[in-house]
Amino acid sequence: MFYFQDIIKEVELHPKYFGRKLTRHIEEQIQKEVEGSCSGKYGYIVVVYAFNSISQGRIREGGGCATFTVNFKACCMRPFKNEVLQATVDVVNKVGFFCTAGPLKIFVSNYLIPEEFEFQMAEEAAFVSSDDEVRIKIGCQVRVRVVGVRIEANDCTCVASMKDDYLGVVAIMD
Amino acid sequence: MEDDGPDYGGEEDNALDDYDVDAGGDEEQQGEGDDDQEVGEDGNRVEVLEGQTQPSDRPRMTTRYMTKYERARVLGTRALQISMNAPVLVETNGETDPLEIAAKELREAKIPFIIRRFLPDGSWEDWSVKELILTER
Repeated sequence: MFYFQDIIKEVELHPKYFGRKLTRHIEEQIQKEVEGSCSGKYGYIVVVYAFNSISQGRIREGGGCATFTVNFKACCMRPFKNEVLQATVDVVNKVGFFCTAGPLKIFVSNYLIPEEFEFQMAEEAAFVSSDDEVRIKIGCQVRVRVVGVRIEANDCTCVASMKDDYLGVVAIMD
Repeated sequence: MEDDGPDYGGEEDNALDDYDVDAGGDEEQQGEGDDDQEVGEDGNRVEVLEGQTQPSDRPRMTTRYMTKYERARVLGTRALQISMNAPVLVETNGETDPLEIAAKELREAKIPFIIRRFLPDGSWEDWSVKELILTER
């Protein structure tokens, strides 16, 4: 789920940036450090939306650098359990398939794919329904329900299920 | 002047923002009353109780002169910054020694620092370097 979040972060700045464009350097530093990172608290921080306030600097003992406390609003993306996500399939193999929803990697095990789907390796790896109508293959859009979230230091992976009403292949992309 | 409360230097249209320097006196070096955390003996992170902030209704009461310790700390820190390519706020006139440039900035009251003087009860007073009176030289 995407949401806006106010985040407070300290940033250390080298003295060579103590010029007229100080504020811009602080903002660029924050964007460089934060955008694309992942934390357990906020999930993925996708983009810094606005800067609310930048505190006065505090000079670091003996270093000459200054630290600024920055309060900013960021767009975050964090998966929640039982959330339904639309994702693009990346990899299909016999244990299941991997798909991505934005920055998020999702794994769907073949135990969590409906029984009528069967793994086939004919021309390309795909899960094919018993009536041969629907194929889960690389590039197609699927709708899945998150059943488990694992958040690591700088990464976030999900396990998702397709065994529920209204879940399954949504569209096929070329 | 002393009754005006802390001067954050914000009204000056300076190229630089102002930076706090923790006051450099002997008794002020302990770093207490700050918001930083210290690591205890057993390795646990121990939160240091935050000292009270300066009551806004109380006028500042410490000396309006810059002590020699503050002077040394300010000059040293500023010289270090200048040596690290910080923009210089005075005419250098070919001077290249960072400490000399810092001394000139101090003489011309251009150093954009604020000295935070900690008092024994953990509260503090902020004094801008620009408003402190220099005695030596």
